[in-house]
Amino acid sequence: MSQAAGGGDSQQGRGPDSARTRRQSFPSNGAVQRRPEGGRSAADGEDEEAEEEQAGESSAGATDGDRTDRRMLRHQYRQLIDRVQQNREDMLSSKSNSLTEALQEANKLFSGVSQAREAALDAQFLVLASNLGKEKANELHSEMTVFDSPAFAEDLLTFMGLNRLEGEENDSDDDGITGGFLPNNAWHTLGAEAERYFRRAPSYHYMLGSFNADPPVPRQRIERQKRNAGAEEKRAMPAQLKKMEESHQEATEKEVERILGLLQTYFREDPNAPISLFDFVIDPNSFARTVENIFHVSFIIRDGFARIKLDQDRLPIIEPSHEEEGRQNDQSAQVRNQAIISLSHQDWKDIVETFEITEPMIPPPAVRQQNGS
Amino acid sequence: MSQKRRSKGPGPSQGEDGAAEEDHALTQTTSQVQRNLERLSPVQVDQKVSELVQFLLVKDQKKIPIKRTDILKNVIKDYKNVYSEIINRAGRTLKQVFGLQLVEIDTKHHIYILVSNLPRLEGENLKQDDSTAKLGLLTIILSVIFMKGNSVKESAVWEMLRRLRVDPGEKHDVFGDVRKLVTEEFVRQKYLEYNRIPHTDPPEFEFQWGARAAKETSKMQILHFIAKIQSKDPKVWTTQYNEAAAEMAAVGGPDPGTSGDAAGASQGARRRNH
Repeated sequence: MSQAAGGGDSQQGRGPDSARTRRQSFPSNGAVQRRPEGGRSAADGEDEEAEEEQAGESSAGATDGDRTDRRMLRHQYRQLIDRVQQNREDMLSSKSNSLTEALQEANKLFSGVSQAREAALDAQFLVLASNLGKEKANELHSEMTVFDSPAFAEDLLTFMGLNRLEGEENDSDDDGITGGFLPNNAWHTLGAEAERYFRRAPSYHYMLGSFNADPPVPRQRIERQKRNAGAEEKRAMPAQLKKMEESHQEATEKEVERILGLLQTYFREDPNAPISLFDFVIDPNSFARTVENIFHVSFIIRDGFARIKLDQDRLPIIEPSHEEEGRQNDQSAQVRNQAIISLSHQDWKDIVETFEITEPMIPPPAVRQQNGS
Repeated sequence: MSQKRRSKGPGPSQGEDGAAEEDHALTQTTSQVQRNLERLSPVQVDQKVSELVQFLLVKDQKKIPIKRTDILKNVIKDYKNVYSEIINRAGRTLKQVFGLQLVEIDTKHHIYILVSNLPRLEGENLKQDDSTAKLGLLTIILSVIFMKGNSVKESAVWEMLRRLRVDPGEKHDVFGDVRKLVTEEFVRQKYLEYNRIPHTDPPEFEFQWGARAAKETSKMQILHFIAKIQSKDPKVWTTQYNEAAAEMAAVGGPDPGTSGDAAGASQGARRRNH
């Protein structure tokens, strides 16, 4: 590999030579080029021996035929390289295909390559060929100018009125960026020149100016967002409330039915024993539950499913109406009575004590219902 | 992110759907249009034409191409059945009164721009503003794109601008956010195309000429600009010159008038700024 690189260097060194001097210096170049090759072959010999020893050790199956083939291949490669070096001018001529043909030949040779030594020769040839290719390309370009953007940038700066003598020191170390003072109107100068190459329609403006055609976007957007949010809340709120009312009403109805069911069950179990209203509604554990029970029982009474009477001791008792009786009396015949019962916390305590109520007759509703209401 | 940026506005699919629908509604034969026209009062149609002319002029202030969808929605409204007649008449008015040409730069999505039809006046008192300076910047980018084979990597553009003391990462006194100006404003105005180079990771982007640039200027004009700046004959760039000449022949456009008197005119331009 180092040999190949060396070849490349020597060619690069030759690069700047003009075509004329190159032709004159060609024979010497060829000599220079070949000298390392001569020197190399001595080294090669050593390499070869070493390599073949290795091969002999590792695989006894390496035949003489193999070795001859490889030697043949190396010979062909060296021939090709020599030929290309000696026919430089022909290779460089834009009219001939010699370089392409040489590359194709090398391609054919490469199909026989199986070991590193031949591959190194192939690489050496490639370095040579690509250097020739580069020179060829350079010669092509000498017929015309290549666009050089750094030069263009320099010319633009000059056009924009860059004063290279005065102005801020160029504190940036970027080479390629020139220092100097660029006037304020530099870009306008350039723009004015640029306009001459455009068929840009002059923009239409009112002589006294006009308000901007664009609406004040950000403010509008904020307003719209707010309004949207408000609307959504309003829309959500009634739905929620409605649902709550519904569920509350449902809960009340269910509770009333449950209590009526309890009342009827107690009565059916023992039809002759009157149920004391106090026993029925008072919950000795909770004043609040007691009030709730009274509230629910009041519905039962209103709808005529039960009635409250006084017993011999002038204490209130409750009993369910008979089915038919209840229906018939309901609303039509019965006169509606209204009563307000007052029950203070103290009253509740007194009642619990006096009547020795220890357990509620109406068990508290299931936990689920309590949570729901 | 920049890719997303580029796909701002109505999505392509949406636009196509709308365009297809409109196409269907707007496919009218000349005789149909004439028949429809007879049913409308000439005064009303004239009114629509004037509205459209004004709409186009105001819309052009920002140099953002005008979509037919917007024209239909904001101006034509109930006169869709005579749309082709209205736009033709508006085009005629713009040409005869304002010296402007209405050009459809995208016949699929029906996008229009206005281009000046008259040779540019040379004078001392021409209006100059920031858009003048921006045009200078744009011209440099168009020059680099054309000279480097009609497509150039984003990094090459930034390198060029940095040489001119315009750093895309810094706020510029005249241009403000340069990156935004180049990759968004110029792109939206259709002066530049800004696309991701396929199979690049991390993504790299390249610039090409946009449709408006091709209408407002030409490769030959840009080549003359470069030749003027570098004080060379445009023909020294053989490849580019041939390409520009071929384009000119294909379009059949007139020879750039500026090439002959470039030297004298530019002196005028320079004097103006001192």
